[in-house]
Amino acid sequence: MTVRVPAHERLSLGNGVALVLVPRRDVPLIAFNAVLRGGGLGDPPQRPGVASLLAGLLEKGAGERNAYAFADVVEGVGGSFGAGAGPEAITVRGQFLARDQQLMLELLADALLRPLLDGEELEELAARHIELIKAAKDSDPAELIGTYGRGFLFGSHPYGRPVFGSEASLAAIDREDVRRYYEGQFGAERLILVLAGDIDADLLARMAADSFSRWPRTPAPPPALARPRALAGRRVLLVDFPGSAQTYFWIGNVGVDRRYPRRAALDLVNTLFGGRFTSLLNTELRIKSGLSYGARSGFARGTVAGEFSLRSFAQTENTGQALDLALRTLARLRQEGLTREMLDSARAYTLGQYPLGLETAADWAGMLGEIELYGLGRGYIDDYPAQLAAVGLAEAQAVIEEAFPRADSVAIVAIGDAARIRGAVGEYGPVSQMTLTDPEFSAPWTSGDENRP
Amino acid sequence: MRAATLANGMRVIVWPVRNIPNIALYNWVRAGSRNEAPGATGLAHFFEHMMFNGTSRHPPGEFDRMMEAEGGANNAFTSDDVTVYQDWFPANALELVLDLESDRVAHLAFTPAVIESERGVVASERRLRVEDNSHGLLAEQVQATAFVAHPYRFPTIGWPADIRSWRLEDLQAFYRTYYAPNNLTLALAGDVDPERAIALARRFFEPIPAQAPPPPVRAVEPEQLCERRVLIRRQAQTPLLQCAYKAPRAADPRGPAVNLLLSALVEGDASRLHRALVEDRQLAIEVSGHWQEGFDPGLLWLSLMLPEGGDPEEARAALDAELAAVAADGVTEAELERARNLATVGLWKKLAAIDGKAQLLGEYEVFHGDWPQLFDAPERIAAVSAEELRAVAAEILDVRRRTLGVLVPSGDAAGAGPDTGPQSSGA
Repeated sequence: MTVRVPAHERLSLGNGVALVLVPRRDVPLIAFNAVLRGGGLGDPPQRPGVASLLAGLLEKGAGERNAYAFADVVEGVGGSFGAGAGPEAITVRGQFLARDQQLMLELLADALLRPLLDGEELEELAARHIELIKAAKDSDPAELIGTYGRGFLFGSHPYGRPVFGSEASLAAIDREDVRRYYEGQFGAERLILVLAGDIDADLLARMAADSFSRWPRTPAPPPALARPRALAGRRVLLVDFPGSAQTYFWIGNVGVDRRYPRRAALDLVNTLFGGRFTSLLNTELRIKSGLSYGARSGFARGTVAGEFSLRSFAQTENTGQALDLALRTLARLRQEGLTREMLDSARAYTLGQYPLGLETAADWAGMLGEIELYGLGRGYIDDYPAQLAAVGLAEAQAVIEEAFPRADSVAIVAIGDAARIRGAVGEYGPVSQMTLTDPEFSAPWTSGDENRP
Repeated sequence: MRAATLANGMRVIVWPVRNIPNIALYNWVRAGSRNEAPGATGLAHFFEHMMFNGTSRHPPGEFDRMMEAEGGANNAFTSDDVTVYQDWFPANALELVLDLESDRVAHLAFTPAVIESERGVVASERRLRVEDNSHGLLAEQVQATAFVAHPYRFPTIGWPADIRSWRLEDLQAFYRTYYAPNNLTLALAGDVDPERAIALARRFFEPIPAQAPPPPVRAVEPEQLCERRVLIRRQAQTPLLQCAYKAPRAADPRGPAVNLLLSALVEGDASRLHRALVEDRQLAIEVSGHWQEGFDPGLLWLSLMLPEGGDPEEARAALDAELAAVAADGVTEAELERARNLATVGLWKKLAAIDGKAQLLGEYEVFHGDWPQLFDAPERIAAVSAEELRAVAAEILDVRRRTLGVLVPSGDAAGAGPDTGPQSSGA
């Protein structure tokens, strides 16, 4: 028994809305996932964070309800409703009791078609997002390291922008920015709507058609994405976190895109390199040396190639030792490759684990939205076991060469006590330095932007 | 569903579900930082790490290598009360997983070099969660201040000096005392035949002899007589405020009312405190809370994240005014209904996945004494009255029985005083 895409209905409204209905009746819940193509791509290049604030505003008043009334009605029936922006889409998700499915669709239609986009709510939300970034710097700097890393690696390419916004960009965004985004980037052909769970499919299909079939299309498609250029050579961004007990680091370069044909092999190689507990990276940095609580790697794959990155952390005085070990392990992957036994283990592991993320109606609402967004087709799930079974050592080696960076061509970000680690990180390449409290995620003086238009 | 008690006293509960070809396993050990002593705090958590590091049958590293090669993943967590081992694996790995799980309960071995390396891992975990983290740093001090007699005052991860000083003998004694089958509850949910799972559990676990039950924790926290306050200055941009109120044990019959109270106060944008403090007065950027549900009376936490330059004293006064109103008048019928509905949906969300099912089964068996009580949860949620909720609020939200923790950026004037430490550096 394996996991296959469940029976579902896919409808296309005349104006381009894609509607996916997935009945599933194990618990009395329904989940929705509304994906709007565009996301951070629609942000003004100098003002990232508009899509994110707009997403937040969708539930701050819509239709006849102001922000309080909207929250009262959602939570009053035990529902959830939340929106966020990603690099290529705004996603609105939620779950309700099955008895409230009509209400759920009504609220979603209000939020997407009739948001109030209230100016005062915007100011409050932007102020709060700024403070949340500061608070994250105080308590979980490692959580932000990918944002620094993408800014440093991708430069002015859209993937380099902080989708959540930076303290500086959020402070500059006004109601006009948000309104312009809504008018330019929200519309029928951008919407993928997945409804899953204990649903009345006929009723919801009728309601969705009533609600969304007159929504106009957007004036233009989302901005096209160029393939980002990979970094050649090494360079370092040092983010000063005075007094920190540990250095948090990120090492990355441009990887592969969402439709990369060797995806099964990629998953297996990454599992072995930094995707599970016994991975090469975790074995070196945690299990054998005790330097770190953990080390992991992964790929962000979008319409074009996102980043490969690895991340870990170690006590301030061990910064150089841990970075050396991480880079040596990356070099070793390319030099020594993998064995048949390793590949078989990763195959069993991946086959054994992927069904766990495809269990509930909410899981399927998410996955079917992703399949639609990137045009992956149901084979993305249904053919996956067979693809995993077919991966051999030669393909794994090809993936290492195509998708994983060479250890001498990487961007390195270190968040730590600059006074104590500057020498250690300077060993790896030219250093740009900034401070954790700076209101941007990238040093303005960063040179050598490979992606400057 | 099936449950069984093995001849050695170990409990096994199995919930067959056939949505995906996988099984979730939770093995609950009744041992946590509550069972520790000064000088060896953090031992239960360190022990959790050592449970992955070799037995007399399998050298260090084999547990993970074997499980992953058969498609399984694992994790574990330690709290004040329990240590819980979790495995998620394809159905055909059940025999291997039970073999590995029983092996480490029966034959754990300690390699001195591995103990040293794992000590470094735990120190790194502590730096991540406490020393470089405002929330963790403050919560540790609040917890240590809230209790004077009960071992709930110990941080689960351990004090730094204790992390450096655990000895092999400490680990061996802890193993002998707490890792006995009669101190374990195994919960399984997923693609499994209950009869077969119980037969396999018998085969692997029943040969492990029962032991004398661990010594009971006899410490009883005396009544708190006055509010206690902690002020930390740290290099940071944003202040924090944490209130920890003395609260009932998990098995207390008022449990559902406590949970609904917490929900009414902090769950969602429509909650009382979010609306008052984040939206209306903008004194906080986030409010949150949780009830530390344990074997003994513990704490109900309310936490406020403040904006840069925010005044903790003003936020505290506003919080106290809100809480006093709830203690005096309770919440509205609409607020109660909202809390009930959110709790019901929350339960269903967990029950939608085998992971949540296995977790809830174990939780009810271990903390409420009886797994079938899980299925009474919706009724118990529905039955909480406005008056019960008000009574619970009046009892718990008593300033005299709370510990107030404030963290301010080291440059700020709040809580003015001549000293400038302690800070995170070099900790």
